[in-house]
Amino acid sequence: MNHLIRAEFRRLLATRMWGGLLLAAAVLGGGMFGAMALAGPENFDPPMPGLDTEAGLRAILGILGYTAFVPAAAGALAVTSEYRHRTAAVTFLFAPRRGRVLAAKLATYAVVGLAYGLVLAGTAAVALFAVAAARDVPLGLPASTVLALLGRIAVAMVVYLLLGAGMGALIHHQVAALCVVIGYLYVGEPVLMMIPGVNTLYPILPGGATAALTDFTYVADAISTELGSGTVNLLPPAAGALLLTAYAVAASAIALLLPLRRDVT
Amino acid sequence: MTGDHLAIEVSCLTKRYGDVTAVHDLSFTVQPGVVTGFLGPNGAGKTTTMRMMTGLVSPTSGTATIGGLPYGQLARPSRTVGAVFDANAFHPGHTARDHLRVYAAMGGYPDSRVTTLLDLLGLAEAAHRRTRGFSTGMRQRLNLATALLGDPRVLLLDEPGNGLDPEGVSWLRGFLRQFADEGRTVLISSHALGEIQQLVDDVVVIRRGELVAAGPCSRLAGPPAVLVTSPDADALAAVLTADPANGGTAPHVEAVRPDRLRVRGLDAPSIADLAAAHHCRVHELAVETPSLEELFLHLTTDKAVS
Repeated sequence: MNHLIRAEFRRLLATRMWGGLLLAAAVLGGGMFGAMALAGPENFDPPMPGLDTEAGLRAILGILGYTAFVPAAAGALAVTSEYRHRTAAVTFLFAPRRGRVLAAKLATYAVVGLAYGLVLAGTAAVALFAVAAARDVPLGLPASTVLALLGRIAVAMVVYLLLGAGMGALIHHQVAALCVVIGYLYVGEPVLMMIPGVNTLYPILPGGATAALTDFTYVADAISTELGSGTVNLLPPAAGALLLTAYAVAASAIALLLPLRRDVT
Repeated sequence: MTGDHLAIEVSCLTKRYGDVTAVHDLSFTVQPGVVTGFLGPNGAGKTTTMRMMTGLVSPTSGTATIGGLPYGQLARPSRTVGAVFDANAFHPGHTARDHLRVYAAMGGYPDSRVTTLLDLLGLAEAAHRRTRGFSTGMRQRLNLATALLGDPRVLLLDEPGNGLDPEGVSWLRGFLRQFADEGRTVLISSHALGEIQQLVDDVVVIRRGELVAAGPCSRLAGPPAVLVTSPDADALAAVLTADPANGGTAPHVEAVRPDRLRVRGLDAPSIADLAAAHHCRVHELAVETPSLEELFLHLTTDKAVS
């Protein structure tokens, strides 16, 4: 097993994707999130509560959580590249127990996801506190709470990377896997939200569970208002975290079990 | 493992894809110590069979074992079997060295083995270049390097000659010969017979997923013929067919041209001696090695199947 994990690290670190991924984390965390904080949510269109309010702070943290499609896409890309570049056959020749290969990949990507999450949360924290100090705005939440929320976002990134990897292992085809992963997060889930009845499921879908992590109610509130239905309540943060983990475990388990008997041609 | 002589045993192997039967009830043995050619027209089922030997494709029924074990049960498969199935199986962003280091880690081999193989296959200078810029020949050599990481006892090559220049083919020939001489097992598939003519000792011929023939080339091709050019061809033919020294069976003599005979069942010295004894003039005497191509065509055309 250690051999397989070492091989997967070598495989990943030898490509340029690895550096690009960490760069993306820094750009999204320090750059995009920093710029949003600098502009101030009160100046958004439509305006949102400012950084000095709890709602405003949670809102921009929630938006940061929405960048989870980046690690999800990276996970799908990494797993499907073995099929695209036809190295899967070589890999299974060296390691015929395919379940172990996938397990090693998931272990490797969990570490990569954590690195991504830490860079994202770390640069976002630096940017947020620097902006708050520069603009002389008191943050709407204690620093420890902000850090805890950023920590949850970092964990969400790990989960999404594994979700993407699981979907990639299931679908095999690189473009199809990317379309499914990004398409679901950006089109599929919002479309589901427009269907009365189905939208009450929002809290238990991946997007809703991620929002629960930071108690980001913006989307849930929008659904409630638009449909005039009863208030859609997010899960408590801990339940959201558990649910997200369950999604990642399910995706990994399906990935581990399903493709193992498929012929590699 | 070193010193082990491992045979590949294919037994009643069948693979169906829906209504299409790619391989049907195929049984043969690949012996260690010789180079075996796996021959058949395109689409005969060679690739599917080789992938079933290594567990990449699961058979509908039947088994394939290597040294008595199915591939999936080998303790360290890459130490036992090296296989090249795809001409191009690399991440384009990896260098040759990166690629080999991934699989060295997977098989548990040291980085020094990577360096050794880069040198052995003449890839040392290309070690730090990304594979997307590799020529076909370089890709073939990197594939072979990957297969050899574990210094395996068995080598499976699917169409290795494609894209190799004459120098590369000659190198491969020498390499495989040495590999087999060490008691290892080599199975090399091809539809291009000229390439492996001088390379293989045994052949397994399949057509439409079924076995046509298997065994040493020399036995399948029959005894070599001798071409005799003589102005006294008719007289010589009479002498040869009446040869009393031949143990029982009369030699087969065929007139290719008015002045040329193809003789089977007698070797060149015997023909020359007989000609001298009966005062027949001989202008030319040539041993005709049966070509693999003729054998192959003979075996894989419909009329040959009985």
